[in-house]
Amino acid sequence: MVTYDSGGNHAETPRGGSVSRYLLSTDHKTIGLQYLWLALFSVFAGMAMSLVMRIHLAWPSVHLPFFSALGGTPERYALLPLLHGSLMVFFVLTAAPQLGFGNYFLPLQIGAREMAFPTLNLFSFWATVVSFFGIASAFLIAPQTGIALWVASVSLFCGAALCSAINFAVTTIDLRAQGMTLPRLPLTVWAWFINAILGMLIFSILLAACLCLLSDRFFSTQFFSALDLLASQPPSVAPDALLVLWQRLFWFFAQAEVYIAMLPCFGVVTHLIATFSRKPVWKERLVVLALCGVGLVGFCVWGQHVFSSGLNPLSPLVFSVLASSLGLPATILLVSWFATLWKGRIRFHTSLLFVLGFVSLFVSGGLSGILLAHTALTATAVAEDLVTGHFHLVMGVAATFAILGGLFFWFPKLFGRRLNEPLGKLHFWLTFAGVYCVFMPMHWLGLLSHAGKNPRANLAAIAAWIGPARSFITAGIVITVFAQGIFLFNFLWSLFRGEGVKECNPWRATTLEWSVALSTPSDDLGACEPIVYRGAYEFGVPGAAEDFIPQHVAPDRVAKAN
Amino acid sequence: MAGAAAPPEIELIIKDSRGGGGGGGRPPDGGDGGDDGDRDKRRRKGSPSPRRFSTGIAIGMVSILMFFMALASAFLVLHHGSKVWVAVRLPRILWANTAVLLGSSFTLERARLRLSLGDAPAFRKLWLLTTGMGVLFVAGQLVAWRRLVAQGVYIASNQASSFFYIFTGAHGVHLLGGVAALLFVALHDFEKSQISVSLAAEITSYYWHFMDALWIFLFALLYLGK
Repeated sequence: MVTYDSGGNHAETPRGGSVSRYLLSTDHKTIGLQYLWLALFSVFAGMAMSLVMRIHLAWPSVHLPFFSALGGTPERYALLPLLHGSLMVFFVLTAAPQLGFGNYFLPLQIGAREMAFPTLNLFSFWATVVSFFGIASAFLIAPQTGIALWVASVSLFCGAALCSAINFAVTTIDLRAQGMTLPRLPLTVWAWFINAILGMLIFSILLAACLCLLSDRFFSTQFFSALDLLASQPPSVAPDALLVLWQRLFWFFAQAEVYIAMLPCFGVVTHLIATFSRKPVWKERLVVLALCGVGLVGFCVWGQHVFSSGLNPLSPLVFSVLASSLGLPATILLVSWFATLWKGRIRFHTSLLFVLGFVSLFVSGGLSGILLAHTALTATAVAEDLVTGHFHLVMGVAATFAILGGLFFWFPKLFGRRLNEPLGKLHFWLTFAGVYCVFMPMHWLGLLSHAGKNPRANLAAIAAWIGPARSFITAGIVITVFAQGIFLFNFLWSLFRGEGVKECNPWRATTLEWSVALSTPSDDLGACEPIVYRGAYEFGVPGAAEDFIPQHVAPDRVAKAN
Repeated sequence: MAGAAAPPEIELIIKDSRGGGGGGGRPPDGGDGGDDGDRDKRRRKGSPSPRRFSTGIAIGMVSILMFFMALASAFLVLHHGSKVWVAVRLPRILWANTAVLLGSSFTLERARLRLSLGDAPAFRKLWLLTTGMGVLFVAGQLVAWRRLVAQGVYIASNQASSFFYIFTGAHGVHLLGGVAALLFVALHDFEKSQISVSLAAEITSYYWHFMDALWIFLFALLYLGK
């Protein structure tokens, strides 16, 4: 366990050289940053893969030098979407908003000096890194062994995610500073907390499913390899359930994984909207309930799978109703965001632009989600492009926008410098236009191919549209990837040369992480235990001199307006 | 979900242990030397709060429960969906193992009772007895595996046998974690530790009883699912 010396001195935990100081540090800030670096690397790797895939789709005959060098066999190409998906889902969408920002800021925001179990946290991080290399190298070796390695790596990731989830939940429950009651928790913390509980439930399911899968591969059991089993049985036997078992176990996880990626983003977005519009969050309690509702529905959507197991004819109906009922908490969140922005003194920093981009993408993606919750459409037309467009817009791109918003907001805290604003705005507008150019035509392609199933459809007319639409999407993705180059430049340049931040609260925010010096080396909170006196969103309080009152300022020390 | 249900209890605990919510505390910058400074330093040097261990184990148990529930639901789906289910004849030694495990829960509680009465040697004796019974249970499970192997029932023989080995194996691994915890409490020197021996024993007992109940559940599932 880490102990702390008196404030100001360096923590005594690190021994040896700087390598072990950074790599084996149990400090939650170091670990949080390491998760962010991992996510940054993964997002660029994943984006490169999507570029390869789209180029192949639009111009199949184009020769891609690096890809061909790997041996561009069909099996290898089939692994490419798998690798793209696993990198993006596990190491970007799960890692960055929850494990990266969460590790860094959850203890700071609740006034704790550490996570509840720092050593366990270190273990989780390294298990995540090992699973990252496992998944990446699964792509490079022979496909059959590669898949086994992939499953083993995902199991390891599940174990790491479970340890992190326990750590997050316990930290929030037991390590809050004096006065940090639950109603005073920032909404980011609420989101991380609810997300940790959801993660704890669903990653155990994926772990169980992966272990059964590994047992199938190594001990020749037949949990999922029902096809082999069926082949050896008389033809009268038709156990439907066997075939769908893996799908179901997997989808318990995968359906909820969407909320795992989105929940912390909801938290960050609500937090940033309040901070940049200088107003309290509209109906804060209701927003907390809505966040709980998202977690609960995420939980029940698969719970429905477990207990109905597809044998009950009513289950698709119930599932559909549940999926649609996500609309209620989502609507509450949306209304609260707009009501908070309404008549606020809004400051259009890049951070807020990304957050507003998130809201826009969330609405457009959510609308197509309603289409998909309608079972008839999904059942008849497995309109792949529509599904791809939908979940990329909501889960992938919207979450990335929230992560970028959070990064622009917390960059001064992380590195003591600001990201460049003009470059950031250019990056935002190019990306915003780019992703709409990519994913909106994809919805349209999905609907087109759905129309193609109609016997009276004019197939030639439909087919004439598909090629140009694909080329348009590919052009869009090239622009979007180019815009990320601007971001990468901005990030690296600002890291070393960016405008330094002198004051410790550059955004004039209220939460505890801004009450201490920026990019603190080791000790979080200085010599004194923080005491919390008020809620997290006290903006524009009548009678106060400033338009915000930080959580840690005692009532008798609040400057009064004259 | 838990987030929504938790507030009243947690609120109470906070009020209990920290003497009131916010608003009334000492100003944060008051401790310049003297008694206050010392108190601050002591508080900072100690572990955050030993309660985190009990919370951690409670949350961990929910997670383990979900893991076994996923396996159990797969068991039920395959069992009811399959017309080629070949039941496993459960070895009789499982009944003896169950009795040993139930007995270990009993001796564990006796040990904790002794500890609360301040009778350290008796605690130690009963505690080691509990540990021994835990090891005996695992050994008994291995014997059950051997019996099945002797009958020619292997993990890959059919789905029912796969589930038998997976359930007993996964439970055994989790139970070995409990044995490790029992050994830790028996051998660790709690003089210099962050938590007291009684708290460590209490947390271990939660996990151990949980493993006990989980085994009863799995055994019933395997037995009824023949």
